[in-house]
Amino acid sequence: MFSAATRRGSGLGFAMSAILLLAAFFVIPVVFLLTRSVTEPQLGLQNYAALVGSTTYAKVFFNTFLVAGVVTLVTVLIAFPVAWALAIMPGRWASVVFAIILLSMWTNLLARTYAWMVLLQQTGLINRMLKAIGLIDQPLQLTNNLIGVTIGMVYIMLPFMILPLMGVIKKIDPAILQAAALCGATKWQALTRVLVPLAAPGIASGALMVFVMSLGYYVTPSLLGGTANMMLAELIAQQVQSLVNWGMGGAAAFLLLLVTLGLYAVQLRFFEPKEGR
Amino acid sequence: MLLDFHKLGAWRWVLTAICAVMSLFLLLPILFIVALSFGNSRWLIFPPPGWTLKWYEELFADPRWIGAALTSAKIGVIVMVISVVLGLLASLALVRGTFRGRAVLRAFFLTPMVLPVVIVAVALYAAFLRLGLNGTLPGFVIAHVIVALPFAIITITGALETFDPAIEDAAILCGASPWEARLRVTLPGIRHGLFSAAIFSFLISWDEVVLAIFMASPTLQTLPVKVWTTLRQDLTPVIAAASTLLVALTVLLMIAAAVLRKGKSE
Repeated sequence: MFSAATRRGSGLGFAMSAILLLAAFFVIPVVFLLTRSVTEPQLGLQNYAALVGSTTYAKVFFNTFLVAGVVTLVTVLIAFPVAWALAIMPGRWASVVFAIILLSMWTNLLARTYAWMVLLQQTGLINRMLKAIGLIDQPLQLTNNLIGVTIGMVYIMLPFMILPLMGVIKKIDPAILQAAALCGATKWQALTRVLVPLAAPGIASGALMVFVMSLGYYVTPSLLGGTANMMLAELIAQQVQSLVNWGMGGAAAFLLLLVTLGLYAVQLRFFEPKEGR
Repeated sequence: MLLDFHKLGAWRWVLTAICAVMSLFLLLPILFIVALSFGNSRWLIFPPPGWTLKWYEELFADPRWIGAALTSAKIGVIVMVISVVLGLLASLALVRGTFRGRAVLRAFFLTPMVLPVVIVAVALYAAFLRLGLNGTLPGFVIAHVIVALPFAIITITGALETFDPAIEDAAILCGASPWEARLRVTLPGIRHGLFSAAIFSFLISWDEVVLAIFMASPTLQTLPVKVWTTLRQDLTPVIAAASTLLVALTVLLMIAAAVLRKGKSE
């Protein structure tokens, strides 16, 4: 008998087309862009010095981390009870909620952002409803600022938090919570001392993913935030497209890349379930 | 207790209420857009004073919208084919291959998915400036294949992993050549995975906006780019009409995917 390996070759050849494509149009362009951050306009770290040294850019970094942090926090607070409910609800209701989550997730990003631009504008439905019930006299400024960005981003990130978290909660053995109840734990104690700690790895890994995705988001921040409230991804695009400053754009891209990969490394190191091999 | 819905007591209603509010939060903006697209208020007053189809007429009467939609469809189909073919080959290597470093290669294939799209977009934009590919169909296709491929690979490797290689071996023992076995035994066996990968790849390209903004030229743009540039000028209800059609397409594709899943489980 011949072995599978000699009959089929090692199989690496099959992957070659994809490897070459990614090398030519992903790896090389990205490396090239990052290189330009230290070679343009001349060799040196002047772009990084400028990024770190200026208050304009400091504000961009502050905006980016603030929005990503708040979005992550709000998303976790909403997603946990929803994921918990979805994990234990009767199948029919769970599948309705599940379908709504998938619909929202797969609806065109621009269509969803457009909806929020219309809903949140000064004459929009939200402001008119708040006025009608007497909560406000003057319409609130909800677009062209970070409030609008945060609402729009939470809307987009929720499915990415709910779906994995639901999987984690489903895997928790109900017997553990029965044991807690038998030992005299109140529901609140069982929640804070048993259920949340057991779901914590899922919460942390989902939160990290939402945070990383939010850091690099481009479309929603630029449409709902306006130019005065720039975030990092917009800064990169602006430097390259409008200012044609490739050195600066490359430097900002490198910082974003560094933070992104760093956080993913944390995720892989601490939260990835170990495979039983 | 906490994981048994019927023993939750009053908490059951709290959880149900949170779920209901969140579902409305996710659903209402989408329904709102659909309603606005049929409303006759240019200023997007809700509820609209009357109903009309004029935004759809405006949409279909404008050759730029139609052109952008056709470009998107063309790019989407080409991306779908390339991404499924390359994804299948890469998955065969990852799942059936015996070479070292398969885990590393898999991680490498998935990187375009985890990096912020704006970095890929800016990097490709620079490369395409040199190659003269900005504003061309191949430029769009390459950019979209880069981001669609990871999803195709995840879907197809998933299907391949559940398909027993012994069946392929059996075909070879019965006299089929390795390629015959792959084409006539393995491919039909993982067809659901291939269909899902095709749907995902098409949708990713069809909806992709960040790469497309950088690749677009005044003469060649995709539907999302057209929506994007229009949105930056004003919030016309024509966008609501365009968005509604996009939502309709999404629902159709989701139903198609659900039917596929059902067919698989039977």
